[in-house]
Amino acid sequence: MPDSGTLRVIDFGQVTPLRSQTLWHAVGYGVSAGEPPTLTFARPSAPYVCLGYHRDLAEIDHDYCRAHDLPVYRRMVGGGPVYLDQRQLFFQICVPAGDVSPSRRDALAGLLAPVVTAFEAVGIAARLDSAGEICLGEAKICGHGAGQIENAVVVCGNLIEAFDHDRAAAILAMPDPAQRDQTAALMRRYVAATPADPGAFAAALTGAYATALGRDPRPGHLSAGELAAVTELDELFTSPDWLAGPARTSGRPAAPGAAGRGVKVRGGVWTFAASSGGARIAASVIAGRLEQVSLTAPAMNGQARAAERALVGLPVAGAADALRQFGEPGSQLAAALAGAEGRVL
Amino acid sequence: MSSGPQPRAAGPVVRVRGFDLALDRRYEPATHIWVADAGPGLVRIGMDPLGAETSGTLAQISLPGVGADLAAGRPFGQLEAVKFVGPLTSPVSGTVRAVNDAVAADPGLIERDPFGAGWLIEAELADPAELDGLLTDAAEITAWYEARIEDYVRTGAIAR
Repeated sequence: MPDSGTLRVIDFGQVTPLRSQTLWHAVGYGVSAGEPPTLTFARPSAPYVCLGYHRDLAEIDHDYCRAHDLPVYRRMVGGGPVYLDQRQLFFQICVPAGDVSPSRRDALAGLLAPVVTAFEAVGIAARLDSAGEICLGEAKICGHGAGQIENAVVVCGNLIEAFDHDRAAAILAMPDPAQRDQTAALMRRYVAATPADPGAFAAALTGAYATALGRDPRPGHLSAGELAAVTELDELFTSPDWLAGPARTSGRPAAPGAAGRGVKVRGGVWTFAASSGGARIAASVIAGRLEQVSLTAPAMNGQARAAERALVGLPVAGAADALRQFGEPGSQLAAALAGAEGRVL
Repeated sequence: MSSGPQPRAAGPVVRVRGFDLALDRRYEPATHIWVADAGPGLVRIGMDPLGAETSGTLAQISLPGVGADLAAGRPFGQLEAVKFVGPLTSPVSGTVRAVNDAVAADPGLIERDPFGAGWLIEAELADPAELDGLLTDAAEITAWYEARIEDYVRTGAIAR
Protein backbone atom coordinates (compact mmCIF):
# COMPACT_ATOMS: atom_id res chain seq x y z
CA MET A 1 0.00 0.00 0.00
CA PRO A 2 1.48 3.36 -0.95
CA ASP A 3 2.00 5.87 1.77
CA SER A 4 -0.63 8.58 1.20
CA GLY A 5 0.18 11.03 3.98
CA THR A 6 -2.02 9.30 6.51
CA LEU A 7 -1.40 8.11 10.02
CA ARG A 8 -3.05 4.72 10.19
CA VAL A 9 -4.68 4.19 13.58
CA ILE A 10 -5.60 0.68 14.72
CA ASP A 11 -7.29 -0.07 18.03
CA PHE A 12 -6.96 -3.80 18.63
CA GLY A 13 -9.08 -3.60 21.77
CA GLN A 14 -8.60 -6.28 24.40
CA VAL A 15 -6.45 -9.14 23.15
CA THR A 16 -4.57 -12.08 24.63
CA PRO A 17 -1.23 -11.34 26.26
CA LEU A 18 0.55 -12.94 23.31
CA ARG A 19 -1.36 -10.91 20.74
CA SER A 20 -0.79 -7.74 22.76
CA GLN A 21 2.82 -8.16 21.61
CA THR A 22 2.65 -9.91 18.25
CA LEU A 23 0.04 -7.62 16.68
CA TRP A 24 2.18 -4.51 16.88
CA HIS A 25 5.36 -6.35 15.99
CA ALA A 26 3.54 -7.40 12.79
CA VAL A 27 2.78 -3.75 12.13
CA GLY A 28 6.52 -3.13 12.31
CA TYR A 29 7.04 -5.51 9.41
CA GLY A 30 4.12 -3.94 7.57
CA VAL A 31 5.40 -0.38 7.89
CA SER A 32 8.82 -1.62 6.85
CA ALA A 33 7.22 -3.06 3.71
CA GLY A 34 5.43 0.18 2.82
CA GLU A 35 2.35 0.51 5.03
CA PRO A 36 1.91 4.06 6.32
CA PRO A 37 3.11 5.22 9.72
CA THR A 38 0.82 3.58 12.23
CA LEU A 39 -0.38 4.19 15.78
CA THR A 40 -1.79 1.14 17.52
CA PHE A 41 -3.57 0.52 20.81
CA ALA A 42 -4.16 -2.72 22.69
CA ARG A 43 -5.06 -3.92 26.16
CA PRO A 44 -4.06 -7.38 27.41
CA SER A 45 -6.87 -9.62 28.63
CA ALA A 46 -4.73 -11.08 31.43
CA PRO A 47 -1.53 -10.34 33.33
CA TYR A 48 1.84 -11.44 31.97
CA VAL A 49 5.55 -10.65 32.00
CA CYS A 50 7.51 -9.23 29.11
CA LEU A 51 11.25 -8.71 28.82
CA GLY A 52 13.37 -6.71 26.42
CA TYR A 53 15.20 -8.20 23.49
CA HIS A 54 18.61 -8.47 25.13
CA ARG A 55 17.63 -9.20 28.70
CA ASP A 56 18.57 -12.30 30.63
CA LEU A 57 15.76 -14.74 31.43
CA ALA A 58 17.43 -15.23 34.81
CA GLU A 59 16.24 -11.74 35.76
CA ILE A 60 12.73 -13.18 36.12
CA ASP A 61 11.41 -15.24 39.07
CA HIS A 62 9.99 -18.09 37.01
CA ASP A 63 8.67 -19.96 40.05
CA TYR A 64 6.56 -16.94 40.94
CA CYS A 65 5.36 -16.56 37.36
CA ARG A 66 4.36 -20.22 37.13
CA ALA A 67 2.58 -20.08 40.48
CA HIS A 68 0.57 -17.06 39.34
CA ASP A 69 -0.09 -18.19 35.75
CA LEU A 70 1.96 -15.39 34.26
CA PRO A 71 3.27 -16.25 30.79
CA VAL A 72 6.60 -14.72 29.81
CA TYR A 73 7.28 -13.24 26.36
CA ARG A 74 10.35 -11.62 24.87
CA ARG A 75 9.80 -8.51 22.77
CA MET A 76 11.99 -7.17 19.95
CA VAL A 77 12.46 -3.76 21.53
CA GLY A 78 14.57 -2.67 24.45
CA GLY A 79 14.14 -2.19 28.16
CA GLY A 80 13.87 -4.52 31.12
CA PRO A 81 11.49 -7.18 32.38
CA VAL A 82 8.07 -5.75 33.27
CA TYR A 83 4.79 -6.87 34.72
CA LEU A 84 1.83 -6.01 32.48
CA ASP A 85 -1.89 -6.40 32.98
CA GLN A 86 -5.33 -5.37 31.80
CA ARG A 87 -5.20 -2.10 33.70
CA GLN A 88 -2.62 -0.80 31.24
CA LEU A 89 -3.47 0.60 27.82
CA PHE A 90 -0.60 -0.15 25.46
CA PHE A 91 0.24 2.11 22.54
CA GLN A 92 2.84 1.81 19.80
CA ILE A 93 3.94 4.30 17.16
CA CYS A 94 5.63 2.82 14.13
CA VAL A 95 7.26 4.87 11.37
CA PRO A 96 9.72 4.21 8.54
CA ALA A 97 13.29 4.37 9.83
CA GLY A 98 14.08 7.02 7.25
CA ASP A 99 11.52 9.36 8.80
CA VAL A 100 13.40 9.75 12.09
CA SER A 101 16.85 10.93 13.07
CA PRO A 102 19.59 8.35 12.60
CA SER A 103 20.58 9.24 16.16
CA ARG A 104 18.70 6.72 18.31
CA ARG A 105 18.66 9.08 21.25
CA ASP A 106 17.20 11.84 19.09
CA ALA A 107 14.69 9.55 17.39
CA LEU A 108 13.43 8.25 20.72
CA ALA A 109 13.05 11.72 22.21
CA GLY A 110 11.14 12.85 19.11
CA LEU A 111 8.73 9.92 19.24
CA LEU A 112 8.14 10.27 22.98
CA ALA A 113 7.36 13.99 22.86
CA PRO A 114 3.76 13.43 21.61
CA VAL A 115 3.17 11.13 24.58
CA VAL A 116 3.94 13.99 26.93
CA THR A 117 1.60 16.20 24.91
CA ALA A 118 -1.17 13.62 25.24
CA PHE A 119 -0.75 13.35 29.00
CA GLU A 120 -0.93 17.13 29.27
CA ALA A 121 -4.09 17.15 27.16
CA VAL A 122 -5.85 14.89 29.67
CA GLY A 123 -4.76 17.02 32.61
CA ILE A 124 -1.60 15.23 33.69
CA ALA A 125 1.46 17.46 33.98
CA ALA A 126 3.87 14.93 32.52
CA ARG A 127 7.39 15.71 31.43
CA LEU A 128 10.27 13.89 29.80
CA ASP A 129 13.03 13.99 32.39
CA SER A 130 16.79 13.97 31.92
CA ALA A 131 16.89 10.20 32.42
CA GLY A 132 14.56 9.78 29.44
CA GLU A 133 11.54 8.79 31.52
CA ILE A 134 8.03 10.22 31.22
CA CYS A 135 7.30 11.43 34.74
CA LEU A 136 4.77 13.13 36.93
CA GLY A 137 6.76 14.75 39.69
CA GLU A 138 9.45 12.23 40.54
CA ALA A 139 7.42 9.17 39.52
CA LYS A 140 7.62 7.37 36.21
CA ILE A 141 4.12 7.13 34.74
CA CYS A 142 4.77 5.48 31.38
CA GLY A 143 7.02 2.56 30.53
CA HIS A 144 8.60 2.63 27.11
CA GLY A 145 10.86 0.69 24.80
CA ALA A 146 12.04 1.18 21.24
CA GLY A 147 13.54 -0.74 18.40
CA GLN A 148 14.00 -1.11 14.71
CA ILE A 149 12.09 -3.90 12.95
CA GLU A 150 13.50 -4.26 9.45
CA ASN A 151 13.18 -0.71 8.09
CA ALA A 152 10.66 0.56 10.62
CA VAL A 153 11.21 2.18 13.99
CA VAL A 154 8.72 1.45 16.74
CA VAL A 155 8.31 3.04 20.15
CA CYS A 156 5.90 1.44 22.60
CA GLY A 157 4.51 2.68 25.86
CA ASN A 158 1.55 2.43 28.19
CA LEU A 159 -1.06 4.40 30.05
CA ILE A 160 -0.97 2.90 33.54
CA GLU A 161 -4.47 3.20 34.96
CA ALA A 162 -3.57 1.20 38.07
CA PHE A 163 -0.32 -0.49 39.03
CA ASP A 164 0.33 -3.56 41.15
CA HIS A 165 3.68 -2.58 42.66
CA ASP A 166 4.02 -5.75 44.70
CA ARG A 167 3.54 -8.00 41.69
CA ALA A 168 5.83 -5.84 39.59
CA ALA A 169 8.57 -6.43 42.16
CA ALA A 170 7.68 -10.08 42.75
CA ILE A 171 8.20 -11.12 39.11
CA LEU A 172 11.86 -10.08 39.35
CA ALA A 173 14.44 -12.59 40.54
CA MET A 174 15.93 -11.11 43.68
CA PRO A 175 17.36 -13.77 45.98
CA ASP A 176 18.10 -11.20 48.67
CA PRO A 177 14.88 -10.44 50.63
CA ALA A 178 16.20 -7.05 51.71
CA GLN A 179 16.66 -6.06 48.07
CA ARG A 180 13.19 -7.31 47.26
CA ASP A 181 11.69 -5.16 50.01
CA GLN A 182 13.71 -2.12 48.97
CA THR A 183 12.76 -2.56 45.32
CA ALA A 184 9.05 -2.84 46.13
CA ALA A 185 9.29 0.28 48.29
CA LEU A 186 11.03 2.24 45.54
CA MET A 187 8.47 1.07 42.98
CA ARG A 188 5.66 2.38 45.17
CA ARG A 189 7.46 5.71 45.35
CA TYR A 190 8.82 6.04 41.82
CA VAL A 191 6.26 4.30 39.58
CA ALA A 192 2.78 5.80 39.57
CA ALA A 193 -0.52 5.16 37.87
CA THR A 194 -2.32 8.03 36.18
CA PRO A 195 -6.02 7.19 36.08
CA ALA A 196 -6.84 9.23 33.01
CA ASP A 197 -9.80 8.30 30.84
CA PRO A 198 -8.26 5.87 28.34
CA GLY A 199 -10.50 7.01 25.50
CA ALA A 200 -9.56 10.62 26.02
CA PHE A 201 -5.90 9.69 26.27
CA ALA A 202 -6.02 7.65 23.06
CA ALA A 203 -7.71 10.52 21.23
CA ALA A 204 -5.15 12.99 22.53
CA LEU A 205 -2.27 10.71 21.58
CA THR A 206 -3.67 10.25 18.10
CA GLY A 207 -3.89 13.99 17.65
CA ALA A 208 -0.42 14.57 19.05
CA TYR A 209 1.21 12.05 16.73
CA ALA A 210 -0.77 13.32 13.74
CA THR A 211 0.51 16.81 14.43
CA ALA A 212 4.08 15.72 15.12
CA LEU A 213 4.26 13.61 11.96
CA GLY A 214 2.25 16.03 9.82
CA ARG A 215 -0.23 13.34 8.87
CA ASP A 216 -3.95 12.83 8.73
CA PRO A 217 -5.14 10.18 11.24
CA ARG A 218 -7.45 7.54 9.78
CA PRO A 219 -8.77 4.30 11.27
CA GLY A 220 -7.19 1.31 9.59
CA HIS A 221 -6.69 -2.41 9.79
CA LEU A 222 -3.97 -4.95 9.27
CA SER A 223 -2.96 -5.82 5.72
CA ALA A 224 -2.88 -9.40 4.50
CA GLY A 225 0.88 -9.39 4.89
CA GLU A 226 0.62 -8.16 8.45
CA LEU A 227 -1.98 -10.80 9.30
CA ALA A 228 0.37 -13.46 7.99
CA ALA A 229 3.16 -11.95 10.08
CA VAL A 230 0.99 -12.17 13.20
CA THR A 231 0.68 -15.92 12.73
CA GLU A 232 4.42 -16.28 12.29
CA LEU A 233 5.13 -14.07 15.29
CA ASP A 234 2.68 -16.04 17.47
CA GLU A 235 4.78 -19.10 16.74
CA LEU A 236 8.08 -17.31 17.21
CA PHE A 237 7.18 -15.66 20.50
CA THR A 238 6.04 -18.96 22.03
CA SER A 239 9.15 -20.88 20.99
CA PRO A 240 11.74 -21.72 23.65
CA ASP A 241 14.57 -20.57 21.40
CA TRP A 242 13.14 -17.07 21.04
CA LEU A 243 12.36 -16.82 24.71
CA ALA A 244 15.94 -17.80 25.55
CA GLY A 245 17.21 -14.72 23.76
CA PRO A 246 19.90 -14.02 21.17
CA ALA A 247 22.69 -16.56 21.36
CA ARG A 248 25.61 -14.22 21.86
CA THR A 249 24.02 -11.52 23.93
CA SER A 250 26.08 -9.81 26.52
CA GLY A 251 26.51 -6.47 28.14
CA ARG A 252 26.84 -5.00 31.56
CA PRO A 253 25.52 -7.87 33.70
CA ALA A 254 22.34 -7.27 35.64
CA ALA A 255 21.14 -10.79 36.43
CA PRO A 256 21.77 -12.51 39.74
CA GLY A 257 25.26 -13.92 39.98
CA ALA A 258 28.74 -13.38 41.24
CA ALA A 259 28.67 -9.76 40.08
CA GLY A 260 25.62 -9.01 42.22
CA ARG A 261 22.10 -8.20 41.25
CA GLY A 262 21.06 -4.75 40.05
CA VAL A 263 17.43 -3.75 39.48
CA LYS A 264 16.49 -0.48 37.84
CA VAL A 265 13.20 0.96 39.08
CA ARG A 266 13.32 4.00 36.83
CA GLY A 267 16.09 6.13 35.37
CA GLY A 268 18.38 7.16 38.24
CA VAL A 269 16.67 4.89 40.79
CA TRP A 270 17.93 1.36 41.40
CA THR A 271 18.72 -1.30 43.95
CA PHE A 272 21.73 -3.52 44.25
CA ALA A 273 22.54 -6.67 46.22
CA ALA A 274 25.75 -8.61 46.47
CA SER A 275 27.49 -10.96 48.85
CA SER A 276 31.12 -11.74 49.45
CA GLY A 277 32.84 -13.96 52.00
CA GLY A 278 29.75 -14.38 54.14
CA ALA A 279 28.96 -10.65 54.12
CA ARG A 280 25.95 -9.24 52.27
CA ILE A 281 24.84 -5.79 51.15
CA ALA A 282 21.52 -4.59 49.76
CA ALA A 283 21.23 -0.94 48.86
CA SER A 284 18.85 1.58 47.30
CA VAL A 285 20.40 4.24 45.10
CA ILE A 286 18.74 7.48 44.09
CA ALA A 287 20.47 9.98 41.83
CA GLY A 288 23.80 8.31 42.46
CA ARG A 289 23.59 8.30 46.27
CA LEU A 290 22.88 5.49 48.70
CA GLU A 291 19.54 6.10 50.38
CA GLN A 292 19.01 2.84 52.25
CA VAL A 293 21.57 0.17 53.08
CA SER A 294 21.14 -3.24 54.64
CA LEU A 295 24.30 -5.07 55.73
CA THR A 296 24.71 -8.57 57.07
CA ALA A 297 28.28 -9.15 58.13
CA PRO A 298 28.76 -11.38 61.20
CA ALA A 299 32.50 -10.77 61.10
CA MET A 300 31.94 -7.05 61.67
CA ASN A 301 31.35 -7.84 65.33
CA GLY A 302 28.28 -5.68 65.74
CA GLN A 303 29.51 -2.84 63.56
CA ALA A 304 27.08 -3.52 60.69
CA ARG A 305 24.50 -0.94 61.87
CA ALA A 306 27.24 1.67 62.21
CA ALA A 307 28.44 0.85 58.71
CA GLU A 308 24.91 1.19 57.35
CA ARG A 309 24.61 4.65 58.92
CA ALA A 310 28.00 5.64 57.52
CA LEU A 311 26.98 4.68 54.01
CA VAL A 312 23.62 6.43 53.79
CA GLY A 313 23.88 9.59 51.74
CA LEU A 314 27.22 8.74 50.18
CA PRO A 315 27.69 8.62 46.41
CA VAL A 316 28.03 5.03 45.23
CA ALA A 317 31.56 5.72 44.10
CA GLY A 318 32.49 6.80 47.63
CA ALA A 319 30.94 3.85 49.42
CA ALA A 320 33.92 1.58 48.93
CA ASP A 321 36.20 3.87 50.94
CA ALA A 322 33.66 4.02 53.78
CA LEU A 323 33.26 0.26 53.82
CA ARG A 324 37.00 -0.36 53.96
CA GLN A 325 37.07 1.37 57.35
CA PHE A 326 35.24 -1.67 58.71
CA GLY A 327 38.08 -4.12 58.24
CA GLU A 328 38.22 -7.15 56.01
CA PRO A 329 34.44 -7.75 55.89
CA GLY A 330 33.99 -4.13 54.82
CA SER A 331 36.64 -4.53 52.15
CA GLN A 332 34.86 -7.61 50.85
CA LEU A 333 31.60 -5.71 50.58
CA ALA A 334 33.40 -2.81 48.93
CA ALA A 335 34.63 -5.22 46.29
CA ALA A 336 31.09 -6.51 45.79
CA LEU A 337 29.75 -3.00 45.39
CA ALA A 338 32.52 -1.79 43.09
CA GLY A 339 31.25 -1.00 39.64
CA ALA A 340 27.63 -1.70 40.53
CA GLU A 341 26.37 1.55 39.06
CA GLY A 342 27.61 0.81 35.58
CA ARG A 343 26.10 -2.66 35.59
CA VAL A 344 22.49 -1.74 36.27
CA LEU A 345 20.56 -1.58 33.00
CA MET B 1 33.41 12.77 22.62
CA SER B 2 31.25 13.68 25.55
CA SER B 3 32.75 10.98 27.78
CA GLY B 4 36.33 12.20 27.68
CA PRO B 5 39.35 12.19 25.45
CA GLN B 6 39.06 9.88 22.50
CA PRO B 7 41.93 7.39 22.16
CA ARG B 8 43.91 8.11 19.06
CA ALA B 9 43.89 5.56 16.27
CA ALA B 10 47.19 3.78 15.73
CA GLY B 11 47.67 4.91 12.13
CA PRO B 12 47.10 8.16 10.25
CA VAL B 13 44.07 10.13 11.30
CA VAL B 14 42.06 13.13 10.26
CA ARG B 15 40.49 15.27 12.96
CA VAL B 16 36.98 16.51 12.21
CA ARG B 17 35.44 18.81 14.82
CA GLY B 18 36.98 16.90 17.69
CA PHE B 19 36.61 13.40 16.27
CA ASP B 20 39.78 11.56 15.21
CA LEU B 21 38.98 9.35 12.25
CA ALA B 22 41.40 6.59 11.27
CA LEU B 23 42.40 6.78 7.64
CA ASP B 24 43.61 3.20 7.38
CA ARG B 25 40.08 1.92 6.85
CA ARG B 26 36.85 2.44 4.92
CA TYR B 27 33.53 3.85 6.12
CA GLU B 28 29.88 3.15 5.39
CA PRO B 29 28.42 6.63 5.88
CA ALA B 30 24.78 5.63 6.33
CA THR B 31 25.44 3.29 9.24
CA HIS B 32 28.66 4.63 10.82
CA ILE B 33 30.33 1.25 10.36
CA TRP B 34 34.02 1.01 9.46
CA VAL B 35 35.87 -1.78 7.66
CA ALA B 36 39.63 -2.34 8.03
CA ASP B 37 41.96 -4.78 6.31
CA ALA B 38 42.81 -7.70 8.61
CA GLY B 39 44.84 -9.94 6.32
CA PRO B 40 44.38 -11.55 2.91
CA GLY B 41 40.65 -11.62 2.21
CA LEU B 42 39.85 -10.66 5.81
CA VAL B 43 38.35 -7.49 7.25
CA ARG B 44 37.71 -6.19 10.74
CA ILE B 45 34.42 -4.34 11.29
CA GLY B 46 33.50 -1.75 13.92
CA MET B 47 31.47 1.36 14.66
CA ASP B 48 32.83 4.88 14.27
CA PRO B 49 32.80 7.34 17.21
CA LEU B 50 29.92 9.48 15.96
CA GLY B 51 27.76 6.38 15.57
CA ALA B 52 28.54 5.45 19.16
CA GLU B 53 28.00 8.94 20.55
CA THR B 54 24.61 9.42 18.90
CA SER B 55 23.37 6.07 20.16
CA GLY B 56 23.46 7.04 23.82
CA THR B 57 25.08 4.92 26.51
CA LEU B 58 25.57 1.49 24.97
CA ALA B 59 23.96 -1.09 27.22
CA GLN B 60 23.89 -4.43 25.46
CA ILE B 61 24.99 -6.01 22.22
CA SER B 62 24.32 -9.26 20.41
CA LEU B 63 26.77 -10.50 17.79
CA PRO B 64 26.80 -13.49 15.42
CA GLY B 65 28.81 -16.61 16.05
CA VAL B 66 31.94 -17.61 14.15
CA GLY B 67 30.89 -19.16 10.86
CA ALA B 68 27.74 -17.07 10.46
CA ASP B 69 27.04 -15.60 7.05
CA LEU B 70 27.09 -11.85 6.46
CA ALA B 71 25.10 -10.09 3.75
CA ALA B 72 25.82 -6.54 2.70
CA GLY B 73 23.05 -4.25 3.90
CA ARG B 74 21.65 -6.78 6.35
CA PRO B 75 21.96 -6.85 10.16
CA PHE B 76 24.77 -8.87 11.69
CA GLY B 77 23.90 -7.97 15.26
CA GLN B 78 21.84 -5.73 17.49
CA LEU B 79 22.90 -2.89 19.74
CA GLU B 80 20.81 -1.53 22.60
CA ALA B 81 21.09 1.95 24.04
CA VAL B 82 18.48 4.13 25.78
CA LYS B 83 16.06 1.14 25.62
CA PHE B 84 16.35 1.30 21.80
CA VAL B 85 17.36 -1.92 20.05
CA GLY B 86 18.77 -1.22 16.61
CA PRO B 87 20.59 -3.25 13.99
CA LEU B 88 24.29 -3.32 13.29
CA THR B 89 24.28 -3.44 9.50
CA SER B 90 27.02 -5.21 7.62
CA PRO B 91 28.64 -3.24 4.79
CA VAL B 92 30.00 -6.42 3.22
CA SER B 93 29.05 -10.01 2.49
CA GLY B 94 31.07 -12.90 3.80
CA THR B 95 31.58 -15.22 6.73
CA VAL B 96 32.32 -14.32 10.34
CA ARG B 97 35.77 -15.55 11.34
CA ALA B 98 36.16 -13.89 14.74
CA VAL B 99 34.04 -12.10 17.31
CA ASN B 100 35.37 -9.62 19.83
CA ASP B 101 34.41 -11.23 23.13
CA ALA B 102 35.72 -8.22 25.02
CA VAL B 103 33.23 -5.87 23.40
CA ALA B 104 30.48 -8.44 23.87
CA ALA B 105 31.26 -8.39 27.59
CA ASP B 106 31.55 -4.60 27.73
CA PRO B 107 29.85 -2.64 24.92
CA GLY B 108 31.30 0.52 26.46
CA LEU B 109 34.55 -0.39 24.69
CA ILE B 110 32.92 0.86 21.48
CA GLU B 111 32.53 4.29 23.07
CA ARG B 112 35.97 4.33 24.67
CA ASP B 113 38.10 2.90 21.85
CA PRO B 114 36.03 2.63 18.65
CA PHE B 115 38.98 2.01 16.33
CA GLY B 116 40.94 -0.27 18.64
CA ALA B 117 39.65 -2.51 21.40
CA GLY B 118 36.06 -1.71 20.42
CA TRP B 119 36.08 -3.66 17.14
CA LEU B 120 33.09 -5.98 16.64
CA ILE B 121 33.81 -8.86 14.28
CA GLU B 122 36.27 -10.10 11.66
CA ALA B 123 34.99 -11.56 8.41
CA GLU B 124 36.20 -13.32 5.31
CA LEU B 125 35.00 -11.35 2.29
CA ALA B 126 32.75 -12.99 -0.27
CA ASP B 127 33.03 -10.13 -2.74
CA PRO B 128 35.95 -7.73 -2.26
CA ALA B 129 34.39 -5.42 -4.85
CA GLU B 130 31.82 -4.42 -2.21
CA LEU B 131 34.57 -2.43 -0.53
CA ASP B 132 34.64 -0.09 -3.51
CA GLY B 133 31.36 1.48 -2.42
CA LEU B 134 32.77 2.61 0.91
CA LEU B 135 34.48 5.90 1.70
CA THR B 136 38.26 5.70 1.84
CA ASP B 137 39.51 9.07 0.64
CA ALA B 138 40.47 11.52 3.40
CA ALA B 139 38.65 14.42 1.73
CA GLU B 140 35.49 12.38 1.27
CA ILE B 141 35.61 11.15 4.84
CA THR B 142 36.10 14.66 6.15
CA ALA B 143 33.25 16.08 4.08
CA TRP B 144 30.90 13.29 5.18
CA TYR B 145 31.73 13.75 8.86
CA GLU B 146 31.45 17.54 8.68
CA ALA B 147 28.00 17.26 7.13
CA ARG B 148 26.81 14.58 9.51
CA ILE B 149 28.04 16.46 12.57
CA GLU B 150 26.31 19.59 11.33
CA ASP B 151 23.06 17.63 10.97
CA TYR B 152 23.35 16.26 14.49
CA VAL B 153 24.17 19.65 15.96
CA ARG B 154 21.23 21.23 14.16
CA THR B 155 18.80 18.64 15.52
CA GLY B 156 20.31 18.77 18.99
CA ALA B 157 21.49 15.15 18.88
CA ILE B 158 24.98 16.25 19.86
CA ALA B 159 26.55 19.46 21.14
CA ARG B 160 29.62 20.81 19.40
